[in-house]
Amino acid sequence: MDDMSSMYCNCKPEAPRSQLKAWAKVDELARANSLWVTAYGTGCGAIELRPLHTSRFDMERFGIAMRPTPRQADVLIVSGYLSVKTLKRVIRVYEQMQDPKYIVALGSCTINGGMYYDSYNTLNVLDRYLPVDVYIMGCMPRPEAIIDGFGLLMEKIKAGRADGWEHYRENLEWYRDNQKKVIPKWDLPDYNW
Amino acid sequence: MMDSQRLLEQVESTATVLQVIRRSDGYLHVSIGSQDLLSCLIRARTETGFLVLQLISVVDRIEDGKFQLTYILENPDDSSILILSALFPREGCTVPTLSEIWPAAETFERELHEMYGIDFPGNDRQDEEFILEGWKDKPPMRRDFDTLEYSIRMFGERWPRNHHDPRQFIGERVGEWETPMSGEEGS
Repeated sequence: MDDMSSMYCNCKPEAPRSQLKAWAKVDELARANSLWVTAYGTGCGAIELRPLHTSRFDMERFGIAMRPTPRQADVLIVSGYLSVKTLKRVIRVYEQMQDPKYIVALGSCTINGGMYYDSYNTLNVLDRYLPVDVYIMGCMPRPEAIIDGFGLLMEKIKAGRADGWEHYRENLEWYRDNQKKVIPKWDLPDYNW
Repeated sequence: MMDSQRLLEQVESTATVLQVIRRSDGYLHVSIGSQDLLSCLIRARTETGFLVLQLISVVDRIEDGKFQLTYILENPDDSSILILSALFPREGCTVPTLSEIWPAAETFERELHEMYGIDFPGNDRQDEEFILEGWKDKPPMRRDFDTLEYSIRMFGERWPRNHHDPRQFIGERVGEWETPMSGEEGS
């Protein structure tokens, strides 16, 4: 890890500067209408995202687009069950995303374990490890349900209530404790920002 | 394509065949004694032309205290399949390695070592992690490993949930179900 230490931050990210309330409204409007999604599928739900961003359901009409890198993205979709091994990679991806950032969790597996509730290798409740803004239930949710969930996320952003990323930064120790509890081989840097 | 009778005779010449599980044209599945497994596999490769090791799989027969190992071999010349099964004792299970004969066996054996705790002496890479990262508990695919208990201990209880009998739940919403079967069940 020594040779890689220059690639990571060695402190927590700072709180954003306070801004004028009116200007924050403009920001929120802009953010809500251009959600860029990290193209990263964690489970079987990633299959439902293909029809969503191709011509039949076409989520680009809502300003939702796929980005190839977390640095350019606002939304992380945790699509379906999340194994312990994948959680480590998802944490890396999530923490490398720029603020503000949102998590949309697809499927029953992220809510309460779904059909994998007794698996030795998949998490039961995603909210203990990463701050989820919108859950979309179903196994699997249809593309219409996912569009509906994104509509909910847009409303939350416009109302200024999609603050999971702030919550994560403020309660980083709690989330880190939970993450380290389930990942036996923790070899990530402390801060991935 | 090789006749299954000829296949069976060749297997019987090196091993004691306990049971013929399934046979058809160019296909033979037999269970043999575990002491003959290695010699039978080597003979199948060197003399009969079964050059491809397709799979090694394990069934945990916990009731008998045995692991059943199954080796699937294929002859690439005529596509005939030979499947050999053998039972090994479950506790302290030790199976001869095939990594010298088929390099692909090394990967299969790593997986079985991680998932079932089977020891393959002679396989140098079996202690490397295959799928699980930093696993400290009992090998998870053994049937005496309680996955639900592990899941609750590791990942916590999931949120409480309500259970609905679908017939009752939907019946309340859309009126009673009427199905052709309902009269016969007498419910």
